[in-house]
Amino acid sequence: MTPTIEQHRLYPLTCPRSIAFFGASNNYSSMGTIILRALLDFGYAGEVFPVHPKETTVQDLKAYARVEDIPAVPDLAVVVLPTRIVCETMAVCGEKGIRNAIIVSGGFKETGPEGAGREKELIRIADQYGIRIIGPNCLGVTNTHHRLNTTPHRYHGQAGFVGLASQSGSFVTQMFTYLDNLGLGFSTAFSIGNEANTDLVDCLEYLGACPHTRVIALYVEAIRRGREFVETARRIVPHKPIVALYVGGSETGRKAALSHTGSMSGPDDLYDGIFRQSGVVRAASLAELFDFCMAFGQLPEPAGDNVFVQTHSGGPGAVAADACGRAGLMLPEPSESTKARIAELVPATGSIRNPIDVTFTKDIVQFFSSLPQALLDDPQCHLLLLYYYLPADMIKRALVRMGVPRQDLDAKIEEIAKMMCDNIRQMIDSRKKPIVCFSYQERGETAMKMLAQAGIPFYQGPERAIRSIRAMIDYRNYKRKLAAQVAGIR
Amino acid sequence: MEADKMIAAAMSRGQRALSEHESKLVLQAYGVPVTRETLVNSRDGALAAAGQIGYPLVLKACSPDLMHKSEGGFVMVGLANEAALLEAYDKLTARLKGMTADILVQEMISGNRELVVGMNRDPQFGPCVMLGLGGIMTEILKDTVFRMAPIDAIEAADMADQLRSRKMLDAFRGQAPVDRESLYRCLIAAGQIGLDHDAVQEIDINPVLISAAGKVTAVDALIVLRSQAG
Repeated sequence: MTPTIEQHRLYPLTCPRSIAFFGASNNYSSMGTIILRALLDFGYAGEVFPVHPKETTVQDLKAYARVEDIPAVPDLAVVVLPTRIVCETMAVCGEKGIRNAIIVSGGFKETGPEGAGREKELIRIADQYGIRIIGPNCLGVTNTHHRLNTTPHRYHGQAGFVGLASQSGSFVTQMFTYLDNLGLGFSTAFSIGNEANTDLVDCLEYLGACPHTRVIALYVEAIRRGREFVETARRIVPHKPIVALYVGGSETGRKAALSHTGSMSGPDDLYDGIFRQSGVVRAASLAELFDFCMAFGQLPEPAGDNVFVQTHSGGPGAVAADACGRAGLMLPEPSESTKARIAELVPATGSIRNPIDVTFTKDIVQFFSSLPQALLDDPQCHLLLLYYYLPADMIKRALVRMGVPRQDLDAKIEEIAKMMCDNIRQMIDSRKKPIVCFSYQERGETAMKMLAQAGIPFYQGPERAIRSIRAMIDYRNYKRKLAAQVAGIR
Repeated sequence: MEADKMIAAAMSRGQRALSEHESKLVLQAYGVPVTRETLVNSRDGALAAAGQIGYPLVLKACSPDLMHKSEGGFVMVGLANEAALLEAYDKLTARLKGMTADILVQEMISGNRELVVGMNRDPQFGPCVMLGLGGIMTEILKDTVFRMAPIDAIEAADMADQLRSRKMLDAFRGQAPVDRESLYRCLIAAGQIGLDHDAVQEIDINPVLISAAGKVTAVDALIVLRSQAG
């Protein structure tokens, strides 16, 4: 059974009340200092005890020459030390009573046989004292809700709902800005490094129990505890989606290829099947990984694969319809009663079939509110894909003609765009049906920023939007399959 | 259980694999539909077996040491009558000079839809089951899907649906849809044997033939045992 988050053995690692910090100094260019600064700048509220053999103050904090001198037993040790003194440091931490460590230092298994020996020694010490380690050779943990960030990159974004376990440190830290641009943020992100005694499965299990995490993203190069992975994922998937980006071709993976059929397949096919069996949605790229997270974290589950497409131009509608077809999604015509209802909103030059194309409307409220509402009310519609094109310049001209003073224009444009977005968000919540937006406008433009703020998934082009819709429907199907299997066992 | 004894005996004899006939007996014990066949070691025995099974027939040399029979010319197909059977029998035994092998008299199944079912022990995931498109296009199309054992009928169905060539399993050019239940049994069995028997390293059922009526039959099978080095 998945424990509650406070009972989870990784809880003191992700939510420490106090930290012993090894490797920071007053030298600004050292990795330890950079990490400590990122931690302090993020506003970590617990106590931090820098340990330094010579300095009495480190980054304005009182420093301790030895762990033994710290007047408390910190929940966590963050270790950014030269490789040769990591093991002995772990031993003194163990003596002190510290039971959790993030070891950023490298020079272990990843460097060859000598490093592997060192890592064995590290694990032996950890076992002796019961220390849970993230790493070594990792960037540690970012828990935005606890304002914990042990990575060297500053976290500027919002506290979010995307939980990440990554076998690459870069895909934690270098995604901070990327996610922020999507209007997303991490809940807790793990860079798991060499997985000395905490691996992908442990982090997956933690994220499954984490209340701030609405969707779990995995960056996977090789799964070591395969059977536990499948079992853990299958326990989480019924209540939380998991999306994985797998990069195949590693040596472990190559060996994993089924021998007689080795010429027929690589580890990629094996992982593909394992993900599907686990109910894990597979992403084909890093962009897709977070595209999917954007939809999963913000939208209700579609009740089926019927998509209604609403547009005000033939081209985007046709491209969207085509992409839906390729993704195996259905574009049924609206019911007769819906057609009658929307006929008044769609001019004769448009189309009330699917895609629903208004061609031109003078009334943006109709386009962004009345029409989508009517479409969502149709029981045939499981999901609305909305072409979102609202250039500030167009609103501006209208406002100028209406006599809005020049200095008020920007504020007014934002207000209008925000109103449209809030409307859409309300429709999603009240109808419990997803609305997904696509556009060729840039993320930085006013209307698009408002979409992100309102928590509405918005994609550059219909293809990305539709792949995300497909992912939502796949997830729904996986859950049903898992439920059927559980029922079958009884 | 019979399969247990057979595997243990083969291990104690130092075999690297079960013979085709032994492999099929194990599979059959797990519900896999296999060819009707009899192991013989004389011309008379062959004739008697043929009388029971009926023509046309296939003759195969059968020994755990013969993992790749067709390459060595140890398979004779389409034997329509007694004369053909005896001629094939003599040719086969001549080719086997110096080798210890029995002769397998086997019903000849026709069908032009072929699948491959396999099992292998993966270091991370344990016994894993494979379903693939069989026949001459196997290596070209590389249409395969995998799952970790155990699997149930729902998972087996999902495997079949995941094949790119899944339409082949439906009614196809005047042929009946495949008996899906039988196909699922092959997949479930392959995984279960892997879970039940640590000594089994690999299973290869190739081909699984689908007849025009949709019947599924394991026509050839090989169970490879764990290496007993040292």
